Amino acid sequence: MESGLMHHVALWLAAFLTLGIFSFLYRDNTWYKVCEAIFVGISAGYWFVAYFWDNLYTKFWVGVWVTPMADRPDDWYVLYVGAALGILMLLRLVPKVGWISRWPLAFIVGATAGLYLVTYFASNVMLQIEDTVRPIFGAENDAPIYEIIGNIVVAVGTFTGLIYFFFSKEHRGAFGRAAKVGIFFLMITFGASFGYTVMSRMSLLIGRMDFLFSDWLKLIK
Amino acid sequence: MEHGAKSRYEIPVLIAVVTLTLVIYVARHAEWFGYLQLSAGLSLILMLLVAGSLIWILIRTLDGNPAGRRMVFLYVAVAVVLPLSMQLTQKIEVTPEVNQLYRGLQALPHGAKVLATFDYDPGSAAELQPMAETFFKYAFDRGFKVIIMGLWPQGPAQANMALTKVLSEERYKVKSLRYGVDYVNLGFQSGNEFVIQRMGGEFKSMFPTDYNGTPYDSLPIIRNVKNFSNIDYSFNLSAGYPGTKEWVLVGVDQFGFKMGAGNTAVQTTGMYPYLRSGQLIGILGGMSGAAEFEEITKYRGKGTKFMLSQSFSHVVVVVFIIIGNVAYIMFERGRATEKKKKA
Amino acid sequence: MLFRVAIAFACLFIIAGVAGQPAGDTALAVQQTIAPVTSLIATNHEYDNGTGIDLIWVPSIDDRLAPSRVTGYEVWRSVVGGSGSRIAELPAGANKFTDEQCSRESTYVYSVVAISVAGNAVSISTAPIQPAREWINLHRLNLLAIAFLVSAAVIYFIQSARSGKKLFVRKIAGLDAVDDAIGRATEMGRPILFIPGIQDMDDVQTIAAITILGRVSRVVADYDTKIKMPVSRSLVMTAARETIKASYMAAGRPDAYNDDMVSYVTDEQFGYVAAVDGIMVREKPATCFYLGAFFAESLILAETGNSVGAIQIAGTAMPAQIPFFVAACDFALIGEELFAASAYLSNEPKQLGSLKGQDVGKAVALVVIVVGTMAATIGSAWDVTFMNQLWSALKVVFQTN
Repeated sequence: MESGLMHHVALWLAAFLTLGIFSFLYRDNTWYKVCEAIFVGISAGYWFVAYFWDNLYTKFWVGVWVTPMADRPDDWYVLYVGAALGILMLLRLVPKVGWISRWPLAFIVGATAGLYLVTYFASNVMLQIEDTVRPIFGAENDAPIYEIIGNIVVAVGTFTGLIYFFFSKEHRGAFGRAAKVGIFFLMITFGASFGYTVMSRMSLLIGRMDFLFSDWLKLIK
Repeated sequence: MEHGAKSRYEIPVLIAVVTLTLVIYVARHAEWFGYLQLSAGLSLILMLLVAGSLIWILIRTLDGNPAGRRMVFLYVAVAVVLPLSMQLTQKIEVTPEVNQLYRGLQALPHGAKVLATFDYDPGSAAELQPMAETFFKYAFDRGFKVIIMGLWPQGPAQANMALTKVLSEERYKVKSLRYGVDYVNLGFQSGNEFVIQRMGGEFKSMFPTDYNGTPYDSLPIIRNVKNFSNIDYSFNLSAGYPGTKEWVLVGVDQFGFKMGAGNTAVQTTGMYPYLRSGQLIGILGGMSGAAEFEEITKYRGKGTKFMLSQSFSHVVVVVFIIIGNVAYIMFERGRATEKKKKA
Repeated sequence: MLFRVAIAFACLFIIAGVAGQPAGDTALAVQQTIAPVTSLIATNHEYDNGTGIDLIWVPSIDDRLAPSRVTGYEVWRSVVGGSGSRIAELPAGANKFTDEQCSRESTYVYSVVAISVAGNAVSISTAPIQPAREWINLHRLNLLAIAFLVSAAVIYFIQSARSGKKLFVRKIAGLDAVDDAIGRATEMGRPILFIPGIQDMDDVQTIAAITILGRVSRVVADYDTKIKMPVSRSLVMTAARETIKASYMAAGRPDAYNDDMVSYVTDEQFGYVAAVDGIMVREKPATCFYLGAFFAESLILAETGNSVGAIQIAGTAMPAQIPFFVAACDFALIGEELFAASAYLSNEPKQLGSLKGQDVGKAVALVVIVVGTMAATIGSAWDVTFMNQLWSALKVVFQTN
């Protein structure tokens, strides 16, 4: 693969697709549309194949038909439950009994909500509250000035941010002013986040440019 | 020229570019001439030229002729490509979060079992692949046993690409690392955070076989690994959902293992609260995180190589933000005077 | 109590001289050149599924001297009535180990071997122990209590909403814009694009998006505007079709509905974005809605929407994506405002109740942050005992591990 004709064909194909997508920056055109259609088709196909082989075949088919009885886990028959739910989902294709497909959906939503009730509560609420509550001047009263400022920012930011997202009270008076401070903190956070994203986008562009100029054209070492 | 506009120069320019590209391709692959390398002096001159032209654009904007979006794209492209061929290196400062991640890895003994989870696809490879490569190099040099898996279908394939690249280096060839003994790829498993939850009970329940279909128990590296309690460290590379957040919430907080993460820059800010509270040991954020990781581990690779492009393009973006704001203010003022006139 | 029983058993075993030495390995040829570990005790690992046993011991005296003569420890396990095997190797200085690979049906005996260059020393064995399963993790009682408090508040508010009580939810800025934006599309004769994020129906943001879609499609049906909704998940496609269909029925125009309003594109993130970008550029929607869970595609979508001159209304609870929507869209629902908007528009007791219940949780958090930070700061700055105690108490309540 690495050498010979196939290597050159693969390089040109990749470059053709990369440049085709880039051409959208100039304007929408046929080349872009072709690349877009190829991308959409291949990715949808890839997901289908990945799910088919990793779930349907490796987990269900192998688990139920291929694996010898002795090697199966105690609860191997649960695979049938999963398969049954999967079939119920496909009943949507039969309009008369289509409503049954809501059951597996309810199962997914319920299980996810159950899992997250505990984990979100523990990790995103309780642990984060505990971490926000800190002595402003440090545990030994010896925090350097930047750390004190940091602690104040975290405490005030969390407090006012929570006020902004409090929906049971109109944003008026002192409460409204606190919410306004909260939105300020949010906007500053968004700014920082935006900066990181510019970095991310540039990285992706650099990655592609590196491919074009170093792997494809071999102009750059 | 605005988005969507056609120009009569399009066809001739396209033909010229295609011809030039073909010539360069044939010439370089036949090695008629060498790599394009810009010396330090030339690089500086080019940078000054770019800076000068940006000032010119600013002046034009002040005159009421703002640059079109295609101009911005062109400048960003130049800012990214030029530094790739420059013989300049940028000093990379290692931030505390990268340092912390490194210390966590350093504290592990020889032979430690590390779970490397790959939750990204080729779309984010530019940022995360250098981290993966550096991680494998470091892990193999320290004699860690690496267990690879992914919650994204393409994740394990990305891991294999990084592995192939690292293992083809002479330094690791001589180590004659063995699959199944020194490293293993368990592959992809669908189910997102539920996979993590079930792995807390037993890895085998989610990965009855590895990537190649070998049964779990016949792989020496994981034969005695039942669940997270047999793992010394976990290293997550993630580009979204499911990713670092799910590993922290469902994995770290419930099963109490140590974890460091490499993230795309986009989601890095969202992970800092977990760093402060100790739920994450360290974070590598985006390309700069990758470069810092390479710097601290002394395995300089693509992250370091790309940093100059990254910095230069950031400068260009900052300048365009200023130009954009100048244009915006002028436009607003123009509109205000128009309104006054009408009034 | 357990501790004493274990010690007593251990003593009995020494006296009987059957101290269950791990059998069948030459490594156990005992040469007492170094002292063995002492006080080896095995206890059931608390709050697990009956698979763990904790071991603690006092390291060999030769390990505690400097320089240590011990190079490491080996943990040996034997099932009563079976042979023994080495289950772990630990570095010098180790004094505990948790064996998590036990079975509830078996009884185990453990010993620890101190390793040195000169020879190894085997400890006396532990008393036989069988791991036990616990159904409730008492270490997390605080989590249960707080979750119970918030859940109770949610149920209470849902019940009050159901019984017809009017629950107050503050007005969400940006919601008024929805009707105007649809009106604009109608006037211009261009379609409305609705993107429900790229997550599946198990994500609460997608559900909120579909709820808001109910309202949007109702107005669309009334105004006879065109709506286009490319989606990246098959389940979202079916849910969205049902929602829009229901709106058209409610508007009394079931014949105007057709399934092509919602179409599946691909699960792959950027493949989906490429397709949506193409649709935007070609169909030039007058109004774009981006509501739901978004990742890196948010800015690409909003930027393209901006370039075709669409009015854009966005909302997501993905913290990393909100900035782009704030910057590139005309109206943005920030974080939880998405859920609040969904509750506000649907006026559904369940959604309203959940929102109000969560407000109770937030009120508790606000109080804890203020009181806790003051207690911690005053306590440590001026060494006020009561404040320190209050701080520690709060820490205990909110600690989860």
